[in-house]
Amino acid sequence: MKTDVRLSPGPAKRTKRMLAGVVFAVMGRGLVACARLDGRVRVEAGSWPEGTAITLAISPGSPRVTVRKQNGRIHTLGSRTDVPSTLLVTFKGVDSALPVLLGMKGILEAFAEHRATVKGDLGIAMSLVRCLHIVEGYLYPDIMTRRILPRPAVREAGHLRAYAGLLGTAANLGEKGAGL
Amino acid sequence: MIPAYYEFSNHAKVLSGENAVENIAYELKVLEAAHPIVVTNRQLRDLGLVDIVLRALADGGIDVCAIYDAVPVDSSVDVVNDLAKTFRKTGCDAIIAVGGGSVLDTAKGANIVLTTGSTDIKEFMGSEVITARAMVPFIAVPTTAGTGSEVTGAAVIKDTERHVKMGFVSYLLLPDVAVLDPRMTEGLPPRLTASTGLDALTHAVEAFSCRQANPLSDGYARAAIDLIREYLVKTLEDGQDRTARLAMANAAMLAGVSFSNAMVGIVHAIGHACGGQCSVAHGDAMGILLPYGMEYNMDVAGERYGELLLHLKGAEVYASTPAAERPRVAVEAVRELLGDAARRAGMPMRLSQVGVTEADLPAIAATAINDGAMSLNPKDADISDILGILRAAL
Repeated sequence: MKTDVRLSPGPAKRTKRMLAGVVFAVMGRGLVACARLDGRVRVEAGSWPEGTAITLAISPGSPRVTVRKQNGRIHTLGSRTDVPSTLLVTFKGVDSALPVLLGMKGILEAFAEHRATVKGDLGIAMSLVRCLHIVEGYLYPDIMTRRILPRPAVREAGHLRAYAGLLGTAANLGEKGAGL
Repeated sequence: MIPAYYEFSNHAKVLSGENAVENIAYELKVLEAAHPIVVTNRQLRDLGLVDIVLRALADGGIDVCAIYDAVPVDSSVDVVNDLAKTFRKTGCDAIIAVGGGSVLDTAKGANIVLTTGSTDIKEFMGSEVITARAMVPFIAVPTTAGTGSEVTGAAVIKDTERHVKMGFVSYLLLPDVAVLDPRMTEGLPPRLTASTGLDALTHAVEAFSCRQANPLSDGYARAAIDLIREYLVKTLEDGQDRTARLAMANAAMLAGVSFSNAMVGIVHAIGHACGGQCSVAHGDAMGILLPYGMEYNMDVAGERYGELLLHLKGAEVYASTPAAERPRVAVEAVRELLGDAARRAGMPMRLSQVGVTEADLPAIAATAINDGAMSLNPKDADISDILGILRAAL
């Protein structure tokens, strides 16, 4: 009798993980871009202690994204795993994460459904959630944000500027951050 | 209402009734423990409540390994780590916590440290991050009827270095046994009885209307409110009424199960901040803020509040109130209960009566916005919304 049965993730799961990795990267860059473009994110990130490293991840293993506040600026560290996280938000699985990452489910709804665990200061987690709501407001059209945000999206800059900022952040990934 | 997905756990065994404490020795044997540490505070020892537990343990053939009675009013990281050190040094094998929320939360925190083999509770700050096959056997004996901590998977512990209250949330924090014995609460003065009773009511109302509410947590919340409606005033009229005391202990426990699974909302977020910024007693803040929190949520949660009218006022009032009026009448019912508590026990009805001033409000609002409870409130709130609630309640 076979007692050790290990199955590898199927192609559908691998695709989902890849997709989640892409969205994580966009979210990380979006946070950095919004810290430049949007005063509300600047204020939120300004309240985080210097050195704060926030990681969004999926359990088990990858994908993940980390942003860090260093010298008063927010940087994205991409999927690096060598930086200890001050705040670690871990989705319990890729199927828990994807509806949130693809803008089909709100972040607060996801927490209410126990889709993610939070290791670290819950106060910073609350601040992060507010930042992510603002980032989602820039990333997604109103038809989506109406469903997933707790109140209508308010943008201090246009979508195009936000996307340009996001691409700019991508170009300088890990080198330049957003000043607060 | 059925959520798309929910989780629920309540594995604490409840012992409820006269002399329930006498069965702790048996429960320790079931848990294969023989040398418990009793965690409490000096005031409860002076009141003789701890002696009731110690005598019951002695009668049951249990040797208490140590008594830790240094728990302060606010549970702190230092006390939690110190308790864990004492437990290890004295070779105990179970925890019996006798006290209110602070004592129970301290015991939960120490249990995390002991079970994980750590030395610092701060490593486990957060939600659902603790992993363990089994925790140290843990029996909770509440001496107030309000916090529900004896059946919740949450603990709030103060970081004395950073002067912030840290939240720890995990189903693993639930005690193995919750002991509700009317002897443990019959000496509570009316003021504290009212304050803790309104805390329990707030747990039930907020749990019923929060984003994480589910059919199971709803059932517990409804049952809790039924008991509070019938027995809170009775305990204020006659503190020695053991039936009423037991009923209120059950109400607090039921509300605890409910909010442990559905969580709480804006009233708790602001109340925690009032405690942190202005040292307002938790139950007082809950009683004062609950009607204002309900009014703020009304456009989103009104229908749910309307359902609660059945439990707040009984079947006749519910049936004779038009459906559209029920949410407003439910808030009135909460105010009536608070008014009763004010008349009979001197409960404050406004924040200004507990030392909060207009100048304190911005700092309270800034703290409240970062409280984890805010995330599950049915309606989003920003700083100006919170200030609006605070000013209305001032």
